[in-house]
Amino acid sequence: MFRYPEGPRIFALALLLLPFSFSSALAHCFVGARFFPATLAIDDPCVADELSLPTVSWSKTGDVPSATEWDVSAELSKRITEDLGISIGDTWSQINPPGGPKMAGFSDLETTLQYQLLKNDDHEFAMLLGLIADWGGTGASQSGIGTPYSLLTPTFYFGKGFGDLPEEAGWLRAFAVTGEVGYQFPTTSFDVTTGAFVPQVLAWGASVQYSMPYLKSEIQDLQLPEFINHLIPIVEAQLQTPVANNFGNSPITTGTINPGVIWVGTYFQVGVEATVPVNRASGTGVGCLGQLHLYLDDMFPTTIGQPLLGPAAPPRKPSF
Amino acid sequence: MRTLIGILFSLVIALAATSAARAHAFLDHASPLVGSTVASAPHEVVLTFTQSLEPAFSSVEVTDGSGARVDAGKAAVSGSTMQIGLKAIGPGTYRVRWHALSVDTHTTQGSFTFHVGGQ
Repeated sequence: MFRYPEGPRIFALALLLLPFSFSSALAHCFVGARFFPATLAIDDPCVADELSLPTVSWSKTGDVPSATEWDVSAELSKRITEDLGISIGDTWSQINPPGGPKMAGFSDLETTLQYQLLKNDDHEFAMLLGLIADWGGTGASQSGIGTPYSLLTPTFYFGKGFGDLPEEAGWLRAFAVTGEVGYQFPTTSFDVTTGAFVPQVLAWGASVQYSMPYLKSEIQDLQLPEFINHLIPIVEAQLQTPVANNFGNSPITTGTINPGVIWVGTYFQVGVEATVPVNRASGTGVGCLGQLHLYLDDMFPTTIGQPLLGPAAPPRKPSF
Repeated sequence: MRTLIGILFSLVIALAATSAARAHAFLDHASPLVGSTVASAPHEVVLTFTQSLEPAFSSVEVTDGSGARVDAGKAAVSGSTMQIGLKAIGPGTYRVRWHALSVDTHTTQGSFTFHVGGQ
């Protein structure tokens, strides 16, 4: 059934997660009248009950000569309480170096603990703190896809919609930005298997998005076709900068700029982006990234769509 | 991997199919249209949402440029529609603010303006 030895392990993980489906998921990212979609390359600024399945990407690596890389990943996010959430995900990668042996396997299992610091409805502003852990030894470290050491990345996320601009700003009010900045440090400073120092890295990114749903419902209904009214054109940037313990490694920032579009539906969204390397060390040519993302809170509002512990926030009587 | 993804995706879709079709209530359209200019003053504002609403927790108000309410008071909520009458209003810009609670307890909110006359 599985071509790779990690397959049964991940299958077991999936089975382990199944009970969540029958017990209790998040409200996805609404802040006032603003809806922040789940972005493909970076994370949105809210805890949530959601499932990204799958996220698929194709790219040419920054190696010389470049290898072709396929990544397929899945991630489940679940609220524990109204403001505390956890995510678990993994990625299967296949790397085809020109003329060399094909490498494939799972990366290290990744978990993220997140806490919602702030949601300001009037200013469409959200802040989130997270701790990302990539668990060393859980991936295909023998092929270099996983690592024998773990990585910890405390991360700050934010989102800001511009609906609070003056009315005169018109269509500009449909813009929003999100961002994240994290400091990644490994649990070892030197990797004895590769004989290289393991750098500490600043992991940062941002998105600029234009919400057609927001334009239609908050600014001006242009009577556009429904398909258009569900689109959020977006540009994401995902970057990494080595900042410490980088002896013998390249010091330059790597990453991609990703223009694309997200179609937002009632129960799910679909996103497609091009991935443009920022320099030669980040890859060659334009890659692509696609994702199907399910809103578990809307799909299962009385079960998975609720926090695991404690009740969801009670409905409030409207007060103007 | 493809098999695994297939299994999980099928499971989610199957579970979704057996769940009640409920979700966040988005504003689908409004009368007068969001951001529109109408030649004559409307007698009511009608909001149509993408989901059915809970009447007790869903409401709308309409204010003029000075912030004074120009709606007739209590909104009528039926299914996915919320309707509120207006007092006699003249040319100007009016803001509609709404809160909605869909029948599965998801809350949404929003506001927009419309204009009466040639403004």
